Amino acid sequence: MTVATLSLVILAAALWGYAWRQNDGSHRRGIVLGWQTLRRTLPLLLVAFAIVGYVNVLSPQTLVQAWLGPDSGWSGLLLAEGLGMLLPGGPYVIFPLIAVIYQAGAGLGPVVTLVTSWAALALISVTFELPFMGWRFTAVRWGLGLSVPLLAGLIAQLIFKGFL
Amino acid sequence: MRNRIPILLALVPLTLAGLAWRRGGAELTLAGLLQGGQTLLSVVPLLLAAFLIAGLIQTLVSREVVTRWLGAGSGWRGLGLACLGGALIPGGPYVYYPIAAALMKSGAGLGVLVAFVTAKNLWSLSRLPMEFALLGPRLTIIRFAATLLLPPLLGFLAEFLFGRQMERIREAAP
Repeated sequence: MTVATLSLVILAAALWGYAWRQNDGSHRRGIVLGWQTLRRTLPLLLVAFAIVGYVNVLSPQTLVQAWLGPDSGWSGLLLAEGLGMLLPGGPYVIFPLIAVIYQAGAGLGPVVTLVTSWAALALISVTFELPFMGWRFTAVRWGLGLSVPLLAGLIAQLIFKGFL
Repeated sequence: MRNRIPILLALVPLTLAGLAWRRGGAELTLAGLLQGGQTLLSVVPLLLAAFLIAGLIQTLVSREVVTRWLGAGSGWRGLGLACLGGALIPGGPYVYYPIAAALMKSGAGLGVLVAFVTAKNLWSLSRLPMEFALLGPRLTIIRFAATLLLPPLLGFLAEFLFGRQMERIREAAP
């Protein structure tokens, strides 16, 4: 994980430098906005990591491997898509949970499907989409989107598994 | 709605703590909390960097620029710009759906709107550092690569299949 830390710190420093060169206070505003988001999401983060800890000690390995394991095939992808739609909350809550599921032995395809389904089909964001975009747009976007997590999981499993 | 989510979410660790208590008493209950705390501590530097990046992107990318891009093109160029706008626009659904709704009212096509929303969902640049920090580089890169072509493709498909019914789709919006 040190590579991840290093690259994020470098990216943050580069963006901050770019913002600083804008000479319009962007560099300060960026830090304030980031800090505000962090403060707002801190309770959620604590809850999420409490869940992570308990899932870890309750060791659901056999359960996860059976349902979402690398050999779970189509049923694993479909289950992951269904689960993803139901996940509530932003990235800071969802990503730690998915990390635990991955560590417990879920396959690459199902995990990619899970992330993609949460990102594209989460029912919680449909509650925002409906009042703004109307039911016809939502039906078209969400309906066509049903294929997206399955496709993503398949592509991950078939094409990228061997590379990385 | 948004305020109730954390409360509902807090029920999950409580239920899990109950399970741990039944299986291993106070010892396992405490072990769960400790385990979670350790995991959180190990990602603190990553999280700080990720939140800083998200905040900086928020100030550097203005809503006006993204909105202008989305109105600018048609055809594949329009789809491409819509995808780029979706990738760059920071913030949650309460930020990008109002923008998409305003664009729909001012006459944007179905493909452009679907591409914009899908790119926001799958490419979101301000979310990537978070994903990188919490899911790890390998999973993030594979997840991103596997969904790389999908936003323009879905936009094209929506336009191709339902583009002619855009008037009726627009009527259904409030």
